[in-house]
Amino acid sequence: MSSPHGGLDDQIERLMQCKPLAEPEVRALCEKAKEILMEESNVQPVKSPVTICGDIHGQFHDLAELFRIGGKCPDTNYLFMGDYVDRGYYSVETVTLLVSLKVRYPQRITILRGNHESRQITQVYGFYDECLRKYGNANVWKTFTDLFDYFPLTALVESEIFCLHGGLSPSIETLDNIRNFDRVQEVPHEGPMCDLLWSDPDDRCGWGISPRGAGYTFGQDISEQFNHTNSLRLIARAHQLVMEGFNWAHEQKVVTIFSAPNYCYRCGNMASILEVDDCREHTFIQFEPAPRRGEPDVTRRTPDYFL
Amino acid sequence: MSNPGSLPASAHHEHEHTPLCRSCGAPTTSPTPAPWSGTTDSPPPAYRPIRLPAINAPTNTAAIVLSPVPQPLPVPPAAPPHAFLVPAKRITSPDDIARFHASVHGLHFLGFVAALSASVHGRKLSDPLPSPPSPAIAALLDLVSALAALVASTPPLPHSSRYGNPAFRLWHEKLTDSASELISRITATASSPADLAGADVELAPYLLDSFGNATRIDYGTGHETNFAAFLYCLARLGLITEPDYPAVVLRVFTAYLDLMRTLQDTYQLEPAGSHGVWGLDDYHFLPFIFGSAQLIDHKYMKPKSIHNPDILENFSKEYMYLACVAYVKKVKKGPFMEHSPMLDDISGVANWKKVNSGLLKMYKAEVLEKVPIMQHFLFGSLIKWED
Repeated sequence: MSSPHGGLDDQIERLMQCKPLAEPEVRALCEKAKEILMEESNVQPVKSPVTICGDIHGQFHDLAELFRIGGKCPDTNYLFMGDYVDRGYYSVETVTLLVSLKVRYPQRITILRGNHESRQITQVYGFYDECLRKYGNANVWKTFTDLFDYFPLTALVESEIFCLHGGLSPSIETLDNIRNFDRVQEVPHEGPMCDLLWSDPDDRCGWGISPRGAGYTFGQDISEQFNHTNSLRLIARAHQLVMEGFNWAHEQKVVTIFSAPNYCYRCGNMASILEVDDCREHTFIQFEPAPRRGEPDVTRRTPDYFL
Repeated sequence: MSNPGSLPASAHHEHEHTPLCRSCGAPTTSPTPAPWSGTTDSPPPAYRPIRLPAINAPTNTAAIVLSPVPQPLPVPPAAPPHAFLVPAKRITSPDDIARFHASVHGLHFLGFVAALSASVHGRKLSDPLPSPPSPAIAALLDLVSALAALVASTPPLPHSSRYGNPAFRLWHEKLTDSASELISRITATASSPADLAGADVELAPYLLDSFGNATRIDYGTGHETNFAAFLYCLARLGLITEPDYPAVVLRVFTAYLDLMRTLQDTYQLEPAGSHGVWGLDDYHFLPFIFGSAQLIDHKYMKPKSIHNPDILENFSKEYMYLACVAYVKKVKKGPFMEHSPMLDDISGVANWKKVNSGLLKMYKAEVLEKVPIMQHFLFGSLIKWED
């Protein structure tokens, strides 16, 4: 009799080689993931030690590099703060691997929702196009975007480090405010759930209109108040490209972590991850793009616009 | 983002500072969405936000193939007396997108882009212009030169850890300070300049939004579209006319493109709204359209010629499409078919006419029909929002 995880281990092995699952396998995987994720809190508790990661954006080989540097899951506990898809060539393989690891090791990896884990955004910025190309139809896109609704919005590491994709909201003063709303929906265009996935810290005080068109900018006064009210030591977030892979703000009370090196194949930025050990000390590990490999295994096909 | 005329938005406003709850989020009169075709075992979520997200039909190849190629349309003149307005953002939902594209100016703006494209069929950048350009063309070139000079006088600042150099904000401040004067030099070329008094109030915001966002220090196809909107407004005012279109593309737009490359390189503008590998380029769309038009009926150059380094090296200075591909290959690392699969796929298309018509369709669908990009588009009296 095969082990109860035999099929899943085989899938993870294939995914680690950057081979996408078949459509029925994706569907079955996402059903299992949904069962796990629906039990998680909007403010998901996480224990240390844990390694906190920022945006990946479909850069599968750089995600593999991240695991090589940070350690394999489940030997290392991970917390990913969203934006697994869009822009890079390998969003399908990237998000499938992370969801597989979540199903296989649910207590060892936490996957939050980013602003790109949404139907509207993925139809603009690439994941939809990629699913069409790799599967010939949009069913896998539909399956994943349905699953994205179940991803937790934020995480709390040892009750001290608040982790989320974007930033704060003028509608949210306490963590209980976040715990209490229904997250299982498409990311709305405005409101507290939108803000958690879209906001950015700013050098200017107070709340500002975000140039992104969603979320807010928030100043040091806002984050200080939020940290104080909720007995937090640090807010860790992703969402913004930073040259060194991490960037402190608000007198080291807010940190941006970006984990997609050489973003868009051109930006020349480093990536980083944040290791929080079981004494709550934190260490940034920076890394470069994975070494070059051969060309992707694809054949040229004519996009519909040109037929 | 809120639409003051929208009841759901105003209803939602009452809960602006309280957490979302099911009762205020779910409209009770919302009809149940039709079952998802192609996959019956994954029903859509029972709960939907007030603004339903755009969900395209799955694998709608026929719809895309059969969709009409955008055709050139004349720009409707704006007759005096003018009531210039500070333009504002109006698009927040897929319904707004549909309304824009059904409107006079939605049709004519896309028609303007198609007309610019048609005007350079078979023309090299170095070809003489078919007719002497309007004085506004020289004024536009002076404007771009003036902005390029501002780059020279605004060097990058010592770099913080954030991507994007904050000196871009200084450059953009200088642009903001000089915008009205630069625009007045264009309006001064009109046959009746007095009729255009106050035009800068309406034109300046388009210009300011044509070079990237100073807060985020980024640039993308939405900003490029704002530059096209700026040109469209000038056409509406009669400052540029159809005989000027080759000059607009081959002289003004290429100068704008050169300036944008300089800004992107100098200030490390973040790719805004990039589709990544699934788009053409992280920053630009229009030069691919115009560049493919230039190559239509070329005797030797075919879409697959982009894979020939000698062709790219020798002909980039004459054809925008080749220059764009050369630039992508220069700045991006790794295999071309990984970082640019769309450009690689397009290289397999049989001829440039097909490339050009496909790119026009793609521009409409992937830029002008997408809320995250078009939410920043501006509407005033020259591009009027029709309620």
